[in-house]
Amino acid sequence: MGVDVRSWYAWVAVLATLITYIVVSGLRKPVSFLPLYTPCQQLLNYVSQTTRSILVRILRQGHIPAHISFIMDGNRRYARMRHRAATSGHISGFDNLTRVLDWCNALGITHVSVFAFAINNFNRSPSEVEALMDLATNKLRELATKSKLVKQHNVRICVVGNRSLLSKEVQEAAEFAEEETKNNTGMRLNICFPYSATDEISFAVQRVAQDVQAHELRVDEVDERVVADRLRIKSPDPDILVRTSGQVRFSNYMLWQSAKRTHIQFIDVFWPDFSFFHMFCILISWQLSYGQIRQRNA
Amino acid sequence: MAAVVWFILSVLAVVLVRASGYRSKWKVRQQLLDGACAVVLRSVQLAFAVHRSFQAWVQNSLTQAGLDMQELLQGDDTEAVLAKRQQLSDLLASLPQRPEHLAVILPESKVRENEAIGTMLAGEVDDVEVLCAWGLLAKISHMSIYARDGSLSRSFDSIAGRLRNSKMVARAFDGRTPNICLEAKSQVEHICAHSDSSQPDIHICLWSRDHGYPSIAKLAQELAREVQSGALSPTAITEACVATRLQDSRGCKHPELVLLLDDLPCMSEFPPWQLQNSELVQIGSGERSLGDAVFRALVRFAKIEMRWGK
Repeated sequence: MGVDVRSWYAWVAVLATLITYIVVSGLRKPVSFLPLYTPCQQLLNYVSQTTRSILVRILRQGHIPAHISFIMDGNRRYARMRHRAATSGHISGFDNLTRVLDWCNALGITHVSVFAFAINNFNRSPSEVEALMDLATNKLRELATKSKLVKQHNVRICVVGNRSLLSKEVQEAAEFAEEETKNNTGMRLNICFPYSATDEISFAVQRVAQDVQAHELRVDEVDERVVADRLRIKSPDPDILVRTSGQVRFSNYMLWQSAKRTHIQFIDVFWPDFSFFHMFCILISWQLSYGQIRQRNA
Repeated sequence: MAAVVWFILSVLAVVLVRASGYRSKWKVRQQLLDGACAVVLRSVQLAFAVHRSFQAWVQNSLTQAGLDMQELLQGDDTEAVLAKRQQLSDLLASLPQRPEHLAVILPESKVRENEAIGTMLAGEVDDVEVLCAWGLLAKISHMSIYARDGSLSRSFDSIAGRLRNSKMVARAFDGRTPNICLEAKSQVEHICAHSDSSQPDIHICLWSRDHGYPSIAKLAQELAREVQSGALSPTAITEACVATRLQDSRGCKHPELVLLLDDLPCMSEFPPWQLQNSELVQIGSGERSLGDAVFRALVRFAKIEMRWGK
């Protein structure tokens, strides 16, 4: 009545071979010459989505941040490592952004801010700046009209920044995206483009002076709250700030908002490689610190 | 007997579930699933906390194998200590880049009282003394030390007295007494022996929350008053105008390196305008000494590349 050990080994070997074949042929890398490539890829996607849903459900048992902010750094270095043009890195970055927004929406995060273009990025080569502006124009319209996030999940798009520095086409695309989604009640997406924190603070100070001049405000009423209400970003202070690519600085991004009690995470991975696993670790780390942050806020 | 009891309980449970209808069964399943996920979440959080502690322990073990930083400045001037101090000074001088302005964020008093800060930090006055000594050793010309609640400014006289007579500070300055300029919000004191030079060897600023958000609000109020009186037009309030008004009276640059000495990676309301292009290094309280923390931060800063948006 004993079990034949050799037959067990044979079954394990067959199973291991099958799983290896499914994983190899289902990978994103182009190995489509292998038979059954498409079904394997579909199976892997299904497993990946199911695992992600389970992990999202696990995370939702704890506290979820109301506002998370990303500095999407590393697109050009990602492209350079793969011997491609910088623009392709930005396109990969945008594709990953849509995935990240999907995860944030599934997690129930109500505000997401992304640092798309800094004012001092205009110092880059004219060809790269022009390519980025074209990309922004196309992708803003695409996000506002065709994306699943806007259509199914009711995401509201806000383009935040000093728009006077943008060309007419990009300004029109930004206004179009905001107009198309202004009545949406879902997650608020702040696309900071072109943005710098010092420009935002100066803008708020200027608005305070204008409101005082227009008698909408008295001088003795001016305090921190009055300045904060006039900042460009109309979301609560971020709970988490994430910067990818391993750089450990703010680069003049959301300084007023992030210098308070924001949990700052610097991740040593390029933005197009930022995965759900990284997101999971960041949120676990924040949930562990949540009690301490609340205590210090009190 | 026990088996019979379990059987009866199971049957009762099944009957209850069936009796409450399909919708309740789905709800119960969802609740059971949520409960299981909550248990998994707690286990994952525990694993993370253990992993973090393990990493800190490994880091500490590695630094113990190296130079004993605290001993170099606090110990007696034996030949071995003098040689090691010279070795460290040469190492710091050889770093490809060092910050001209270093800012250090210390935990505020209530955090020191309520949370286990570890052995790295002593009292505020001791910490300022150690930081000043390290600033002189690394030839940093400007150092800002920040505590949110303003406790450093309240201890201004004690800090000045300590720095005036500090052997540690003298050891860090090759046995000589340095010319130190100590500044708080409304106090400035030059701590020097007989020095003809008007330029201090190190300028130490004691910052608090008042140097940040309230300063910007006060500036907004002043500019609004000027606009109201007609002395200024709102369109003249540009980024350059605000930057000029917020600039340090001595024209000092913003800190290039900010060292956060806290387990929590939060900026504790550090002056936001000054953070524009600062590198941030966070070192937890598990570090063996403040000297180790400063040394590690300087080594990390030496390797960074600033691209200024390009």
